[in-house]
Amino acid sequence: MAGRSGRTISTDRKRYTKGFFSSWEFVLVILFVAINIFCKIISQNYTAANVLREMPKYLSEMFLLFPMAYILLLGDIDISVGATVCLSATVSCFASNAGFPIGAVVLIGLLTGLACGMLNGLILTVFTELPAMIVTLSTMIIYRGIAEIILGSGGSVSLNDVSGFSALAGMVGLFPYLFFLVLILGVVFTIVSAKTPFGRSLYAIGSNRSAAFYSGIKVQRVRFIVFSITGAMAGLCAVFLTSTLFGANTTTGNGFEMDAIAMAVFGGISAVGGKGRLAGGIISAFIIICLRIGLGEINMNPQVILIILGILLISAVLAPNISTKIKEKKQVLARK
Amino acid sequence: MKRFLSVFLSVGMVASVLAGCSGNAAATNASGAAESSNAATSAVAGASATGKTFAIVTKSAGNPYNEKEAEGFQQVIEQQGGTCIVKHPEAATADAQVSMIQSLISQKVDSISIAANDENALQASLQQAMKAGIKVSCFDSKTNKNSRQVFVNQAGTKEIGQALMDAVYDISGGSGDWAILSATSQATNQNAWIAAMKTVMKGSKYSKLNLVEVAYGDDEPQKSTDQTQALLSKYPNLKVLCSPTTVGISAAAKVLQDKKSKVKLTGLGLPSEMAAYIGTDADHSCPYMFLWNPVELGQLSAYTSIALVNGTLTGMTGDTFDAGNMDNSPYKVVDAADGGTEIILGAPFKFDSSNIDEWKNVY
Amino acid sequence: MNEQTPEKKKSLWNCITASREVSLLLVLIVLCALIGIRSPEFLTISNIGEILKNNAVIMIMALGMLCVLLTGGIDISITSTLAFAGMTVGMLFKYKLIQSTGLGFLIAAAIGAMCGAIIGAAIAYGGVASIIAAMGGMYIFRGLAYLVANSQWAGADALGSFTNFALSSNLGFGVINNVIVITILCYVIFFIVLKWTKFGRSIYAIGSNRTAAAISGIHVARVEFLVYVIMGLLAGFCGALSVTIYSSAQPNMVLGKEMDVIAACVIGGVSMSGGSGTVGGALLGALILSVIAKALPLVGIDAIAQNTVKGVIILAVVILNVVTKRMMDRSNLERRKL
Repeated sequence: MAGRSGRTISTDRKRYTKGFFSSWEFVLVILFVAINIFCKIISQNYTAANVLREMPKYLSEMFLLFPMAYILLLGDIDISVGATVCLSATVSCFASNAGFPIGAVVLIGLLTGLACGMLNGLILTVFTELPAMIVTLSTMIIYRGIAEIILGSGGSVSLNDVSGFSALAGMVGLFPYLFFLVLILGVVFTIVSAKTPFGRSLYAIGSNRSAAFYSGIKVQRVRFIVFSITGAMAGLCAVFLTSTLFGANTTTGNGFEMDAIAMAVFGGISAVGGKGRLAGGIISAFIIICLRIGLGEINMNPQVILIILGILLISAVLAPNISTKIKEKKQVLARK
Repeated sequence: MKRFLSVFLSVGMVASVLAGCSGNAAATNASGAAESSNAATSAVAGASATGKTFAIVTKSAGNPYNEKEAEGFQQVIEQQGGTCIVKHPEAATADAQVSMIQSLISQKVDSISIAANDENALQASLQQAMKAGIKVSCFDSKTNKNSRQVFVNQAGTKEIGQALMDAVYDISGGSGDWAILSATSQATNQNAWIAAMKTVMKGSKYSKLNLVEVAYGDDEPQKSTDQTQALLSKYPNLKVLCSPTTVGISAAAKVLQDKKSKVKLTGLGLPSEMAAYIGTDADHSCPYMFLWNPVELGQLSAYTSIALVNGTLTGMTGDTFDAGNMDNSPYKVVDAADGGTEIILGAPFKFDSSNIDEWKNVY
Repeated sequence: MNEQTPEKKKSLWNCITASREVSLLLVLIVLCALIGIRSPEFLTISNIGEILKNNAVIMIMALGMLCVLLTGGIDISITSTLAFAGMTVGMLFKYKLIQSTGLGFLIAAAIGAMCGAIIGAAIAYGGVASIIAAMGGMYIFRGLAYLVANSQWAGADALGSFTNFALSSNLGFGVINNVIVITILCYVIFFIVLKWTKFGRSIYAIGSNRTAAAISGIHVARVEFLVYVIMGLLAGFCGALSVTIYSSAQPNMVLGKEMDVIAACVIGGVSMSGGSGTVGGALLGALILSVIAKALPLVGIDAIAQNTVKGVIILAVVILNVVTKRMMDRSNLERRKL
């Protein structure tokens, strides 16, 4: 449990524990600053006001990052979150159009997401042999399919009354409400994963599921809770997404699952479980968001942006590994 | 600190890639500006767009049809001395378009022309854009009337429905079973055209035609192939298949032609994709099909944007404006079925064996 | 005499539950029979040929995915690789840079192998988790496919004689379509390699116990690298195959279908944690998925509900798999007790 960061910059654990300055998170912070300077140089429109105005759509995706990080820590994966967002957004739009007050609409959105997450959790904990990927793949098809059925021909619904949702998209000065909610939830999720018994059980299960089981952790209960939370967060994402889109359609939330996984992985959370810290995931999410906004402002081909993200993703993992390997070889040579 | 070296190297590598790309973008902009300054001298007086920035947002990247629209748009804008920004979203979703609109607001462009992936989902962003003083028009696929000033329609929905229905009537000989292969069950365009066809079909002339099914191929070649084959085995008496979508029509054309099926095909398709299937003999599956010229659609869209920015057009019914040397210029703004206004490019164009070779290299 | 009857019944039950493939085969037969009752034209030879041809790409890639999953990895970049290779070949034909069908396949396979090698090297030698490397590859290769396409498609007219390959049956002695022959050939080769060669057994060994495999002298990294190269090669080859089958090359080809390939394997009983799974299982899994895709429009399910039904069927088959496996284990235990 000593080397928690997915990217151990150094294999030397004593040095690693020295602190923040030799951690992957520190590298990410530097990278974040560098990306911002870079974006400022390439685009004169890269101002705080513009960035914050462009941000809400990306920020709502961050609600998926937090629980996805937990799921990856467990050694599982959930690719149904995008579809859950689609279903929750659809249901809350219909609820709003049926005349429910905004509070009830938000609750309905959250509950829809929660129900989807609980179904995933239920299947996965009853049939523990099943890999999460295949179960969430089928529920992904099913959730989006149900949304398609609800939406009917036309495939899109718009809000009749946007006042409630517009209120959600409000701002305090330059900052949208969403920004504060993301920060608060980010802190809560980070603290829970780092400082509570529940958080430690995530790491324990991810590192070695049977060892965790025999040390008394209720593995399946933890998995069920985490998948349920994921569903609820997808519902929250859906509600805020609706406040920027004023409606929902069959492509809502397409690809969000991959975005969330990429943010987490880039932030140092191991995709095989048990390693990484959520703080890294949050910083890396902001790096990716700022990069996308900056490159968008110079109208770069989105395919090139994808290629850059792909290279970043692989090299972020590859570079520290290679440096470690080189170091090990040198040590071996020195010993000889 | 040595262990950081490799990390920073990789960062440096990515940064240089970025710098390279942005450099390229800047270079193309510069060359564009140079061209346009040449063209500006020959521009029509009064329609000049000098010093203004015009943006076009298509449905998605990697589609030649969208590319041709953008090409026509860019041509006109640069000829008139304006700066043109072309944006193709990475996927055909409203989400991706919202980010692009937001980015364009940041760049303080003067106008946005957009082919909407969803009628309603862009409303919040487009209204924000209009509030910021940006002129908003749609082309190809419209948004709802509250999120646009005017819609540049490729061809009237009714006219397309009529043309396709007449083609089905003509190819089938006036009677028999026929089916539709559409894109997704949610595509706004597709549904509007299918509804228009159904309305036309109510006329007594078409009473002997029997629409057996509307199938959906989701604009995927594999699924469209499956659906076409299913239609053939389900309805042995099928005479005509009508596919108003570019991916669907080429997949269906291939299935029919490979099987040497007696079923004939018509619909809306790209000439370059369909060239191998168009012909009146038994070896070809599609006697003729329709489409409009996407380049001209882009051009008209550009003239519309310029007129909106210059204030010669407000988007109200009855407005007229000059569209350079385009065929039907000056164009007139008319009422659209959804309560907003639109400008119609013209009638759909018919592609058959006589003109396909000429058009297959164009788009 | 009375005592023998339950025993006989039991032995039949044993036979069904003894092997996963048999139970899957039963699922497939029941599925086909049900569809056959609803629409008799489903079980005609031409229709079966169409199913095989239209799903050849998924079926062939399932073989590569089988190997990847056997080593305990995963590769979600395959459809991007497919699009990149297919698009490149499509463009080469469009601009008349190549004319030979064989060369087209060769180039596509080479591009695929190269993509696979990049990912494989990052995974096997760079210590990158397979899902991360594959995800990076997914973005990069799809992006490259778009860049190569440069907003162009290659249609039937542009591809010329290349499209004839999927129409003729000269490889199958004029009886069986070329595409189906190739699919069968791939399955035979993989069956032999995985069952009877050292390389095949080392793939299983790595998946079951990596450390043990390394100690027993298997070059773990090299085998792992090769597995991704093979996966890439198959994906690239399928890129060209897909272009000839549909006479069309578009940069968003088979977007998202990597999940179908993985689903085919998992339905076929391949474990996602490595070490267990067979070529027969992958075949049956892919066939079940193909039959579902083909049958949904035929049996008259409303278009708008087809996706939901598909998801439910996949989930049901996967869960059924687990339930039979549990029964299998239980009956094995009971047999041991006796």
